[in-house]
Amino acid sequence: MDGNASMKGKVMRKYFYFIIATLFLASAAYAADSQIWGDMRVTNIFGYGQVESKNLGPLFTMLQSEYFPMIFFGILVGVPAAFAMHYLAIGPKVFPHGGKKIYIFSVFNRFVHQVAALSFIILVPTGFMIVFGDKLGGGSLIRLAKDLHGLATVPFAIVVIPMFLMWLKDAFFNFDDVKWMMIVGGYLSKEKRPIPAGKFNAGQKMWYWIATLGGMIMILSGAAMYFMDFDIAWLREITGLSQIDILRASAIIHNVVGFAVVALFITHVYMSVFAIKGAIHSIIDGHMEEEEVKILHSSYYKKLKDQGKV
Amino acid sequence: MSSNEMSKMKFYCDDNRCIECDGCSVACAEAHELPTGVNRRKVVTLNEGIEGKEFSTSIACMHCTDAPCEQVCPVDCFYVREDGIVLHDKNKCIGCGYCLYACPFGAPQFPRDGAFGTKGAMDKCTMCAGGPEETNSEKERHLYGQNRIAEGKVPVCAAMCSTKALLVGEAQEVAKIYRQRVSSYGKGVQSAPYGW
Repeated sequence: MDGNASMKGKVMRKYFYFIIATLFLASAAYAADSQIWGDMRVTNIFGYGQVESKNLGPLFTMLQSEYFPMIFFGILVGVPAAFAMHYLAIGPKVFPHGGKKIYIFSVFNRFVHQVAALSFIILVPTGFMIVFGDKLGGGSLIRLAKDLHGLATVPFAIVVIPMFLMWLKDAFFNFDDVKWMMIVGGYLSKEKRPIPAGKFNAGQKMWYWIATLGGMIMILSGAAMYFMDFDIAWLREITGLSQIDILRASAIIHNVVGFAVVALFITHVYMSVFAIKGAIHSIIDGHMEEEEVKILHSSYYKKLKDQGKV
Repeated sequence: MSSNEMSKMKFYCDDNRCIECDGCSVACAEAHELPTGVNRRKVVTLNEGIEGKEFSTSIACMHCTDAPCEQVCPVDCFYVREDGIVLHDKNKCIGCGYCLYACPFGAPQFPRDGAFGTKGAMDKCTMCAGGPEETNSEKERHLYGQNRIAEGKVPVCAAMCSTKALLVGEAQEVAKIYRQRVSSYGKGVQSAPYGW
């Protein structure tokens, strides 16, 4: 009981810090002294390509002009193409949906997940619209996408920490995940053999870490770019970067982490909607087919059985 | 030197002459009726108070030949004119800030216009050459300021520079003037007139 209370206190404190940090960025954005166009302006010029600079300006220019849009295009086309081939060659896993069900996800779990899901449904397409803004003609349409991209971040920022904490203990990698990786989750065959996985399989765990920790990185780097001219001295001291270099680093990080987020987001949607027929219902009504748990999360099923829960 | 390179327009600020009067930035802001907080041109002083090392210079968009802003823009709103002037289309711009991250000179400016402090369309020095709208139209003036180049006038900042520190024109012409100045240092009053 005592331990539980202190745990809760810790959680609350972490959450509090995160909100404070976000507010801090927002208020600092209106600081009177510009970190970019004021006295720092000349220092920033020297920092562009001189010997002792981090060369982030030329690096960002090179990456953004030659690689970022191309990689995003590769992910947008390549990942769905690979899954389309999987669907045609191997096909989906179908489990009977009328048998006994196991209650897996609480109302809280589902609420948090749904808020994050709705945010992602806006964040991912609008992000792609910004990346391919030149092909879409720019202007008001892309400006709208940019504004929605910022707005949809707010609900995600609210649920990302609860989501991180509620599934943390089920998301650590273990030996099951090695075995899961060896057989690529059993997705390369049609056979229904029990697959080594706990409550979450190795693929879901990867997505968990990218969506939560990666998501927090996306929020912070995105907020830095959104507020742009904020004044946070300790951030410059810790990183050893000037304001403009913090922005350049944020843009690079936002794109690179973005690759992983969108690739795994597409995977997550494919798995829940197409690859395992009806799997999406478990996060809608909280119940999962017993047969499905038995096969796809065999270790978890065993654990439930040992506890006499099924 | 090809004739193409000859015709590239460039700014140069002679820091031996700049007296930090701020005239260029005031002239720019007034001529183009810029909102407060937007400084297309800015005078900065370096090594302030250190004897022999202090100098001032005037910075704006340098209209780079290999403009990095043009390379990174996700909506491709930049275009480089034949004469090398780098301009952009404010109707296409989404105010993402990428051009600022790419720019070595901190030239792109972002007026805050939304209720949540969203960045508006980027604003920067046009070398007094307006934008993609109809030349000298009301719309062009409203979005980009005066188009003095189209009228055959010198950009307003350099035109009013009292010490003629700020030079603008074809790259070779600017280089010629500066070379003349450097070679005549310490040789008394020059016989050739200042400026162009």
